[in-house]
Amino acid sequence: MSLLHIDHLSIEYDTPGTEPVKAVHDVNVDLEQGEFVGLVGESGSGKSTLGFAITALSRPPARVSEGKVIFDGVDISTLNQEELRKQRRGGFAMVLQSGMNALNPVRTIRNHFMDIFKAHEHVQKDRREARAKELIEKVGLPANTLNRYPGELSGGMRQRVSIALALSLDPKLMVFDEPTTALDVLVQHEVMNTIRELQKSEGFTAILISHDLGIVLESTQRVLVMHNGRIVEDASSREILEHPKDDYTKMLLSHYGDPRAEHVSVPGLRTRENANEAYKENAHAEDNRTALTVSHITKIYPAHKRGDGEVRAVDDVSFTLDPGQSLALVGASGSGKSTIAKMITAVENPTSGVITLGSKHIEKMHRGRDLRALRSDIQMVFQDPYAALNPLHNVEYILSRPILNYTKLKGSAARNRMLELLEFVGLTPVEQFAAKLPHQLSGGQRQRVVIARALASDPKVLIADEPVSMLDMTLRAGILALLDDLRVRLNVSMLYITHDLLSARLITDNIMVLNQGHVVERGETSKVLQHPHDDYTISLLDAIPKLQVGEQA
Amino acid sequence: MRYYLGKIGLFLLTLWAAITVNFLLPRMMPGSPADAAIAKLSQNGPVTPEMRASIEAQLGVPTGNPFQQYIQYLNDVVHLNFGISYSNFPQSVSSLVSTALPWTLVLVGTVTILSFIIGTMLGAAMAWKRGSLVDATGSVSSSFFSAFPPFWLALLLLFFLGYVAKAFPTSGAYAATSVPNLSWSFLVDALYHSILPGLTILITSLGSWVMGMRNNMINTLGDDYVTFAEANGLHQRTVMLRYAARNALLPNLTSFGLVLGGVVGGSLLVEQVFSYPGIGMLLFQAVTNQDYPLMQALFLMITVSVLVANFIVDILYGVLDPRTRR
Repeated sequence: MSLLHIDHLSIEYDTPGTEPVKAVHDVNVDLEQGEFVGLVGESGSGKSTLGFAITALSRPPARVSEGKVIFDGVDISTLNQEELRKQRRGGFAMVLQSGMNALNPVRTIRNHFMDIFKAHEHVQKDRREARAKELIEKVGLPANTLNRYPGELSGGMRQRVSIALALSLDPKLMVFDEPTTALDVLVQHEVMNTIRELQKSEGFTAILISHDLGIVLESTQRVLVMHNGRIVEDASSREILEHPKDDYTKMLLSHYGDPRAEHVSVPGLRTRENANEAYKENAHAEDNRTALTVSHITKIYPAHKRGDGEVRAVDDVSFTLDPGQSLALVGASGSGKSTIAKMITAVENPTSGVITLGSKHIEKMHRGRDLRALRSDIQMVFQDPYAALNPLHNVEYILSRPILNYTKLKGSAARNRMLELLEFVGLTPVEQFAAKLPHQLSGGQRQRVVIARALASDPKVLIADEPVSMLDMTLRAGILALLDDLRVRLNVSMLYITHDLLSARLITDNIMVLNQGHVVERGETSKVLQHPHDDYTISLLDAIPKLQVGEQA
Repeated sequence: MRYYLGKIGLFLLTLWAAITVNFLLPRMMPGSPADAAIAKLSQNGPVTPEMRASIEAQLGVPTGNPFQQYIQYLNDVVHLNFGISYSNFPQSVSSLVSTALPWTLVLVGTVTILSFIIGTMLGAAMAWKRGSLVDATGSVSSSFFSAFPPFWLALLLLFFLGYVAKAFPTSGAYAATSVPNLSWSFLVDALYHSILPGLTILITSLGSWVMGMRNNMINTLGDDYVTFAEANGLHQRTVMLRYAARNALLPNLTSFGLVLGGVVGGSLLVEQVFSYPGIGMLLFQAVTNQDYPLMQALFLMITVSVLVANFIVDILYGVLDPRTRR
């Protein structure tokens, strides 16, 4: 008998007054003891809804409309609240997506363990402290972590604590819902290693829910691909990788690439060679646009606490961004990439060093006319398109502001410019999109509006800070192609800030690798990524899940 | 430890600033109490310099340079010497305040604390059972009752329960015939007199605590740590109290600090309606009779108690929320 049997399961979101929305459609899955299974899908595919249903954590308005989940021979919908609570020990456990917030901020880590031990009384009173220590060490944390509050731990440490807490229940089945999505690349890699090791040593059955096919293939033996609420493919990892049957799976796979490969291409994006051809054809010679020069900038922040040293966020960084050039700035979080962006946009002033755009000295700007002119020359594309647009205004208003503020256009000329921008970023029919409010747009569409807004003032330099990290894999190519197009058609130079080396390889010609404020490696993107020299660059490349089946499959 | 030392330092600094502003403000205002009294007198005929001198002597016109006055003022504040009341001549301001203060503290203070405790528990329970009948009834009646103007509710209660039903006394803090003492019968009588004003304050203040807590708690119930606690099979009680309610309580505590500080100011309108001899009544008298020393003392006392209450809440916050301690 299988450990988990999902039988014709359908789940609806039932909001009063509207048609119920079917999030999960007729899902049939069997899981054997000890299996490690991946559940892959894009946002809105129903994968998390399914995960919550399996662990009996569905909350209204989600409702199981058909079918059942049979765990260890018992239909979980027949359990009453207390039986369900009791079976959470030795039954199924869940590690949530944002492990950062999965811990009660006002309780110490020790108390989190004690709460569980008290609730289930499966560990003798005098053994509890020792057991908590044992578990916390199992996930690779020092024993004194028990004394700390969640706020004192980093994101990766908190996610490790959640895993240890879930482990303390001696679960037969562990559901990991995007366990590493919110974490930094390097940390993500380490946490996934821990999860794989634990799964082997503890022998629990595991489901890994993720949007990232790479991570899933690397870890699991079997993959379920979910699309629009249905499981479209259920096969071994090797099968999925080598002989995918479903078109959706094939499409997902096609968006992966190894940034280290000699040739990298993704559907919807031209290769670097073609892009540079196109750039040359669009004669930009008459453009006398000026270069952005950054020389020897350093930013030092004062110490957080007395006794701590000052923080050198950026240390002696120099580079030049020529018109029409695209430069990638890569590094893990805390490497100083965003601080550099802030200094170029004069949000912060460097402690020392010089930044010039043509004849303008950016490093000395504080306010007034100069800064205003700078804002029209340098624009930002932000990471989170959900937070970057004012939800109260429609697209027309959002795009009109910079046009009225920074160009001399007025009235119908301004409106035409607004429509032209929408056309340029591919939001057609333009009149319809102009009237929409941000919440009526998808993530990818919102990011296009953000890009259109950045273009409104006809900038010379565009700073794109992780513009695709919040978007689904299949939407990324479109946005990246658009960014690349700006350079070709408008001769805008772009500073592309990212931790994602694949996208850097796809749309930039030059790259700088940043580690703790220092540039550790720089050069042509394709050369640096194919033949990295610095250890840090190598570790960044190693952290990327490769499209290959892990050793355990 | 540094957190607490910092808070104590900040408290002492604001306390000093408040006391000093209280010294400066009256001196910056045009005219003087003596001028006001003389202006009144001059309506009945000319005021001779002798009359002026005697009025000034009676009211106590400051002598010495401003710095000496300031030192004298600080000395007086430390010794709780706020001078003589005009309207209740020749009683000292401090004796008036000390008679009125206990009534307000006991009535408004107890009711405020009670209202906070009941409201918070009710709000938490409603959020826990959100969408249920309890929640719906609670939400509607909370907004209904908190929309009542206190003085109007006071009049309603006074008329129906006091005058028509004759179930409760209609005015005062104790029977007119008795003298305040600590005997059992007097305390019972005082409690009996405090029910109507207490009920008024309770009903009108309860709603904001209920709704505040309910809304905070609905937010924390959606937080991941609550879902995770549930996924770990903790007891429902633990999840509700130690995870959801514990975190939802924190923002409410700040508003509680502000309200608690305001307790000393009394509940002006309610005390007025029930002729309750508390600070609110005293403040009203002071304002209508232009009793400057009394007003100054009362304002200082209200300011200081708001500061003290906020200081206590700050300290409590440090104990309750580890994130603020760093």
